[in-house]
Amino acid sequence: MSCVFPFQSPAKATMQILTQLVFSGIALGMIYAVIAFGYQLTFQTSDTLNFGQGDALMLGALVGLTLVGLGVNYWLMIPIVCVFGAFQGAVVERIGVRPAIKIKSEFGWIMSTIALGIIFKNVAENVWGRDDLKFPSPLPESPLHFLGANVLPMEILVVGGALLMMLAVEVFNRKSIYGKAVVATFNDRDAAKLMGINTGLVITFSYALSSMTAAFAGVLIAPLTLTGATMGAVLGLKAFAVAIIGGLTSGMGIVVGGIILGVAETTTGFYLSTGYKDVPGLVLLLIVLAVRPAGLFGKTAIKKV
Amino acid sequence: MKRSHLLLAVIGIAALALFPVGFHNPYYIHLVETIMIYAIVLFGLDIVVGYTGQVSLGHAGLFGVGAYTVGVLVFKLGASIWLTVPAAILITAGFGALLALPALRVSGPYLAMVTLAFGTIIQILINEMSFLTEGPLGIKLEKPELFGHKLDDREFYWVVLVLMVLALIVVHRILRSHLGRAFEALRGSPVASDCMGVSVYRYKVYAFVISAGFAGLAGNLYAYSEQYISPNTYNFELTVLFLLAVIMGGRKSRIGSLVGATIIVLLPKLLDDIEMFRYVSVALAVLVAVSAVVGIRRGKSTAQQMAIPVVGTLLLAGLSFKLQSMTDWRLSIFGVITLFVVYYLQDGIVGFVRNALNLKQTSVADQQAAIGVVKGDAVGTAAGANAAPELLKASGVLMQFGGLKALNNVDLVIKRGSIHGLIGPNGSGKSTMMNVLTGIYQPTAGSVAFAGQSVVGRTSSDIALSGIARTFQNVQLFGEMTALQNVQVGLHHTFASNLLDVALRTPRYKRESAHAASRALGLLQFVGLSDLAFEEARNLPYGKQRLLEIARALALDPQLLLLDEPAAGLTAPDIKELIAIIRKIREHGVTLILIEHHMDVVMNLCDTVSVLDFGQKIAEGKPAQVQADEKVIEAYLGGTVAE
Amino acid sequence: MLTINNLSAGYGKVQVLHGISIDVPKGKVVTLIGSNGAGKTTTMRAISGMIAPTGGDISLNGKRIEGKESYDIAKLGLAHSPEGRRVFATMTVTDNLILGAFPRLTGSRPKGDVAADLDRALDLFPRLKERRTQLAGTLSGGEQQMLAMARATMLNPDVVLLDEPSMGLAPILVTEVFKIIERLKSQGVTMLLVEQFAAAALAVADYGYVLENGRISVHGPAAKLRDDPAVKAAYLGGGGH
Repeated sequence: MSCVFPFQSPAKATMQILTQLVFSGIALGMIYAVIAFGYQLTFQTSDTLNFGQGDALMLGALVGLTLVGLGVNYWLMIPIVCVFGAFQGAVVERIGVRPAIKIKSEFGWIMSTIALGIIFKNVAENVWGRDDLKFPSPLPESPLHFLGANVLPMEILVVGGALLMMLAVEVFNRKSIYGKAVVATFNDRDAAKLMGINTGLVITFSYALSSMTAAFAGVLIAPLTLTGATMGAVLGLKAFAVAIIGGLTSGMGIVVGGIILGVAETTTGFYLSTGYKDVPGLVLLLIVLAVRPAGLFGKTAIKKV
Repeated sequence: MKRSHLLLAVIGIAALALFPVGFHNPYYIHLVETIMIYAIVLFGLDIVVGYTGQVSLGHAGLFGVGAYTVGVLVFKLGASIWLTVPAAILITAGFGALLALPALRVSGPYLAMVTLAFGTIIQILINEMSFLTEGPLGIKLEKPELFGHKLDDREFYWVVLVLMVLALIVVHRILRSHLGRAFEALRGSPVASDCMGVSVYRYKVYAFVISAGFAGLAGNLYAYSEQYISPNTYNFELTVLFLLAVIMGGRKSRIGSLVGATIIVLLPKLLDDIEMFRYVSVALAVLVAVSAVVGIRRGKSTAQQMAIPVVGTLLLAGLSFKLQSMTDWRLSIFGVITLFVVYYLQDGIVGFVRNALNLKQTSVADQQAAIGVVKGDAVGTAAGANAAPELLKASGVLMQFGGLKALNNVDLVIKRGSIHGLIGPNGSGKSTMMNVLTGIYQPTAGSVAFAGQSVVGRTSSDIALSGIARTFQNVQLFGEMTALQNVQVGLHHTFASNLLDVALRTPRYKRESAHAASRALGLLQFVGLSDLAFEEARNLPYGKQRLLEIARALALDPQLLLLDEPAAGLTAPDIKELIAIIRKIREHGVTLILIEHHMDVVMNLCDTVSVLDFGQKIAEGKPAQVQADEKVIEAYLGGTVAE
Repeated sequence: MLTINNLSAGYGKVQVLHGISIDVPKGKVVTLIGSNGAGKTTTMRAISGMIAPTGGDISLNGKRIEGKESYDIAKLGLAHSPEGRRVFATMTVTDNLILGAFPRLTGSRPKGDVAADLDRALDLFPRLKERRTQLAGTLSGGEQQMLAMARATMLNPDVVLLDEPSMGLAPILVTEVFKIIERLKSQGVTMLLVEQFAAAALAVADYGYVLENGRISVHGPAAKLRDDPAVKAAYLGGGGH
């Protein structure tokens, strides 16, 4: 994503660089938003989340890479990876989360989703190796010119794909009876059960959906960055920052939060040093939690004694 | 400490001390040294994870701060060990505070993520700030000098041993003291903890900072021990390893920390040696299969429960024969072990052994002998006996939740020395009023003045310490602590001793501790629970639990005691006892507010009764007056509504 | 229709119900009254599966349901309008009602004509009809109570449990709510009504049980209970206690 602009005035060059960074930041931010969306899904229905969310993304990307390597068309590969992601999410819920919910142990699901994440990462290391791999881009790699800056077609696909995914889930929630059942579970689990809704299945479903969105995000972002067993960890952490900044219950919030973080990172990475580019997200997380734990858009809960 | 425990500890320490004398191989000396160093981290981590119940994913980062403090001080300034040890402890504790102060405003998964972020930042900073830390190149160190003599392997080992034993003693003392009780209390019931004057936030921070200090000390020793430090050691995997060690060894146990440290140091070595691993995994599979059969025969567990461990260990053994090297799969094995421990070994190995051998946790019998006789009256006379007649004045209190007005312009005046009843149908706002008075809710509008000072805007623990104590509608005891310890938490405010006093067992601490213990026993006597003093609160019958809550609340030396449905769920004889105790409390000059549905209790005890309905006061006066009031009867029975 | 036999239940160490027996015949309205803490809501929760009973049995249409999950019990035809309403706050009134028919829309109960039932429910509750696209969380307490009751009827249930419908409502709204209960009764809906307001409950019910400290202290035809001094004593403790 580098740019060379010979024979231009410094001011214009700075503007172009800045615009470029903003566009890249938005694309990056949308990825964070999609992963954060996954956190929201499970947290809303079950008050739990998957500490291995980043690893779900990583597995999606690597499985996608293998399929593409076997000759499967990129666009065809996407639904296959989605199904894989859903399955992986259901497994995580079954093994890691359901037993913890049963014994009402917060510590339980935190540790077991962490453990599952570690296992997935280790398996990935052994199957795909420890090096980062190049994911072939389905779209032409030559940048388009937009507002005087270079934008990669892939970046546009990322933003489009992310928005599409979140929109699709929203539509599902509003239109289908099963989607409504999910929202009902998120509103009031006990009352949902009284309606005949099997809330255990709803929770499994929300985990499946959550991992599916992560896997989808994985194949979207893979062509833009390097793909490897380690790509998930820090992404997962920063997406959590976005989920917190946006508020764990607000969909709008995570899009805004994602964009803020994405742009902050690309600009830090360029103007400071790439080593430090992970820092603003993490510092932002600490600050938001200290000042407004419910997030910028969230609502604080009322205690009942 | 019990005689036999002390003896075992001495034997253990002696064995460790003599180890390098018997085994000269520096590899083994280094191995046991590492175990001891990790144990120091775990002593501290156990306080956070085992006692306060918070998950911290940042302790590898703190460990790294300790190591790099030494590294930088030695590399840049050539500092001696006399400087680096305290520096490592203090600087790491400082970082711990820097993290804890914002992070501990949240809990659970939020806290885990925040500490993880912190650990990641530390790693990045160490890697990038190469002007200070030499970045990825790392720093080389040598064993330190002591009194001008450069320590060799064995001598440094003994230094580590001494420091570990000191750390062990200090942790032990902290956890036995009022600080340890505070840590357990905030996990048992955060709401009750705040209302007993133990600020949950503050003590979570203390616990975290103390554990950071231990991590710093360990990091310091680690740097000297390894003689080389680099950034990528202090990563996520190390932090998970620490957590695994704590839960696998056993929470709330020093031996557990030592066992855990041993496992996480030896396990990677075991995995590297495939031959050895094959033997061990087969032995493990056999052991699990045998105990499964025995367990099913004895009826202690079902085939379904045992299926997963048996199949799992068999698979592991089979896998070990298939693969040539387990090193690459190390992390997966850790992950699987973690899953297993979290669901099947929740009390850790120490807990498992204790259950199997039917041992009791810590012998409390000898504690009983140590507590002196109560001098004088444990409850004491309430303060301000000759002060203003109006103790509490609430004016125009409005409590709004969204569109719902739980309290709608309520005035309440409580006269000093009286027993004031607060009654009304379900949802009328009584408990809401209690929560406003104790700072759990901030009123939307209105004022509340207690002994002349405003209550609104202050924290629950602050209000508790200024003289308002309460009990809860749903019993909020610290379940895993004994009745005596529950009351001692209420006495937390009588301790002026700080961390140093506790660690060094100063005369001041000893005095305060003895006084609190005897006073707690006196308070239990007051409510008639003295023979249940050493029972765990969760095992007490329901009626006794409610009395225990009252004893705990009295420990705050309150001027005003709020009782929230004290008679709920009590049998008739229990209720008689309760009435007698409440009368005794009033005789000591304590003013009482009583929320109750049992009309006979209210009529019997109260001087004045206020009736709430839909968040408004609809009647007030003497009990008999109120009982006959038309509006009250209608509120309860809905008399004229059904037309 | 619904038979409760020697039911005991509680929360952890606290036993709230000590063996109560209630019979709700088809097409009748039975009420369970008592003061706070007597165990009325606990009874409802044990019936609909929100908590598991510690003893006794419960039968719906001859089928044993004690200890089952709430969602399975709902599929068998028991609708519960819970204490505190518990409507789905971020969903519209219409969506709340549709969810009441969830087992019918997903094959666990005979489908019938959901759209027609939805219209009928809205006609029965005109206030809800006016607000049918409004979010349930923005409704007033009384409107939420009506929504909870309407939602329960959408199941086409055999029995409806109404848990403290009057709680927290202003007297005018309480009258309206009980008028609706009367209307449901005239349509032949079998109901078990738990209420703190004894007078209102006994006015609409056919039969009543009085719960005191987890035990049935007196029961009989509602008309007779209305004048029984034991009822007053159970609440206010004055005279005869």
